[in-house]
Amino acid sequence: MWHRIYAIIRREYLERVRTKAFWISTILVPVFLGGMMIIPAWLAARGGGQFKVGIVDLSGHFAGPVQAAAAKLLADQNEKLHITFVVEPVGADAARAREAVKQKVQHHELDGMLILPATLPSKGKPEYVAPNVAAFKLLSVLERAVNDAVIASRLTAAGLDPKLVGRLTKRVGLKTMKLGAEGKETRDEGQGFLLSYGFMLIIYISVLMYGIYVMRGVLEEKTNRIVEVVIATVKPFELMLGKILGIGAVGLTQFILWGFALLALTAPGAGAMLGMSGLQLPAVPPLLMAFFIVFFILGFLFYGTLYAGIGAAFDTEQEAQNFQGVITIFLIIPLVLMVQILNQPNGPLSVVLSLIPFFTPMLMFLRMTLVSVPAAQIAASVVLMLASIVGAAWVVGKIYRVGILMHGSKPKLGDLIRWLKEA
Amino acid sequence: MVQPIAFGPHRDDAALGTMSRSRRREKIKGVSPVDAILRLEGLTKRYGNHVAVDELSFDVPRGSIFGLLGPNGAGKTTTIRMVMRIILPDAGKVFLDGDPVDDDRRRLIGYLPEERGLYRKMKILDHLVFLGTTRGVPSHEARKRASAWLERFDLGTWADHKVEDLSKGMQQKVQLIGTILHRPRLLILDEPFSGLDPINTRQLKDLLIAMREEGVTVVLSTHVLPQVDELCDHICLINRARPILVGALDDVRARYGGNTWEVAGAFTAADLQKLAFVSAVHKLGERILVELTPDTAPRELLAGLLQLGNVETFGRFVPDLENIFIRAVEEDRRHVA
Repeated sequence: MWHRIYAIIRREYLERVRTKAFWISTILVPVFLGGMMIIPAWLAARGGGQFKVGIVDLSGHFAGPVQAAAAKLLADQNEKLHITFVVEPVGADAARAREAVKQKVQHHELDGMLILPATLPSKGKPEYVAPNVAAFKLLSVLERAVNDAVIASRLTAAGLDPKLVGRLTKRVGLKTMKLGAEGKETRDEGQGFLLSYGFMLIIYISVLMYGIYVMRGVLEEKTNRIVEVVIATVKPFELMLGKILGIGAVGLTQFILWGFALLALTAPGAGAMLGMSGLQLPAVPPLLMAFFIVFFILGFLFYGTLYAGIGAAFDTEQEAQNFQGVITIFLIIPLVLMVQILNQPNGPLSVVLSLIPFFTPMLMFLRMTLVSVPAAQIAASVVLMLASIVGAAWVVGKIYRVGILMHGSKPKLGDLIRWLKEA
Repeated sequence: MVQPIAFGPHRDDAALGTMSRSRRREKIKGVSPVDAILRLEGLTKRYGNHVAVDELSFDVPRGSIFGLLGPNGAGKTTTIRMVMRIILPDAGKVFLDGDPVDDDRRRLIGYLPEERGLYRKMKILDHLVFLGTTRGVPSHEARKRASAWLERFDLGTWADHKVEDLSKGMQQKVQLIGTILHRPRLLILDEPFSGLDPINTRQLKDLLIAMREEGVTVVLSTHVLPQVDELCDHICLINRARPILVGALDDVRARYGGNTWEVAGAFTAADLQKLAFVSAVHKLGERILVELTPDTAPRELLAGLLQLGNVETFGRFVPDLENIFIRAVEEDRRHVA
């Protein structure tokens, strides 16, 4: 039996790994994911540049303090951001002054204008008018400078010393420490969440993608009429199993390649070489990596089997779409339920959800990235998962046996049940 | 022209059964006088109220080319699929070399289904090696055999091409190679000539005849009778799920030919009808067939013809499969009515 299954696995694996599509996706997915992480950070850091901002100070006494506060912020932040302020003369007619400066902005003599209303500091909202309002770094400096200046003015008016108030109201922040199973505390400022979310997405995408590969593979064998040639010597169940295992092996290969790439990037010196010393890749505990692989395998075997059944029952992908959609929903539910798990990873609802085989691969893994899950629960989820895989293989195996030889009319749910009885 | 590869000696012989060959013969003899490599007993398949195959029984004699014939929808493919256990019969049994066919023993059969395809993106040689390994041939051996067969089928230069680059006829040849790669003692080919041009048809026929000489038994299923007329030595004619004619083709021909003579000359069919010892006159196109009463000697007919005038043609009528088929189906219909 196994040498035949091996022959099927071998074919599925080699034929897929040899395709350009495999290598393109292997290279593009990390590039894409990396891009999603690096580009926003890079964009955020890229706030530098020379700006010339005109100040229209209708209040008459805030132009100076705002410039001083901005200079202090720029000096503190050590950014490559330079702001040159031009205090525009304001005559008796505020509206005309405003219009004059606006002309300058429009003719690119200024990058923007900062309007400080006459009602400051008691009330009123300063405005920044510019063609480009997406220079976030500049905006944040201007906003803080205006606020610092106005608040200092209010404090002084109330008889308080702004410096003293600044010292007294300094925020202390909150240092987040993740408490591990052995009582070890590790610093965690959101990268824990990002990591959980990222890994869960990878499980979701991989299970979905490789599951659909299984379905397409089965459909291909049906439409190309190859299936009867094969099942003359290979039992339908062996063919199904070989196909699922072969395609799963392709997925694992992709993970291993990515793993090596990650190791190479995080190796000492590699980062500097690539000029990414600033990029910090979160360290992933080896045990979690192991469970990532385990839950991918379990999830893929379960969903891959269901997708194989759908492929066997229908003739074309279009016909299969409705049933395929139902299964995809089961894959999406965990993404929706994620907030619940994040809030109370060890709450009763979270525990129950993560033990449901449809959700286990994602939700149990998510819980494990968040808290230390009792070993008994992990074991139970794995056992339930395995039992479900065997059950799915048993049911789908029957549908598969009948379905792969069926052509023509699109089967209904009742037909599928009849096939179950027939086989 | 195809030079067939020698088939013996066979590694698979030992696998054909645990008992010795002589004992197996005895066992088969005990059941039937024919040395049957394949035996079907009461094979039945129903789909709802429709009976696809109805208690079908026949023996395929070892070393024969056996024609499983019948019109479209007669149940040929369903029968073969049951032999191959691709679908399971509702009743009846199939024996290979005297033992019931199970999932292991069916692999000793080389099966070319009617619905046959190939993985379009695979390279030809890789594909054949894949088919070989699923049939238990080690991959290096499968590669060797497949290369040799590709050479013999003039496909040697295509070994590294993808299946989708081949013409339909070439793909047919590749499928056939996949069927015989594990050197089966019994071949079951479902409509093997469909899609083949006359040259490839000839090539396949020569191959099958050569294989029979090597001791391979071939079961051919087809509804295109002229294609297999020269090949088959045994036939089973199926009509509407039931066998209506089974046996050695020579016997069948003698039965349907009977005391029938094909004549031509200076006389008409009406003239012949008047002769006392003529029981029936058939016109088969331009040919005149004269059926004599059973104890009439041919020389009496010849003498009668010479009295009528010149005789241009005189010979025993050997019915071809098509004649037999049509008459048998008609008789079956009358019988049912």
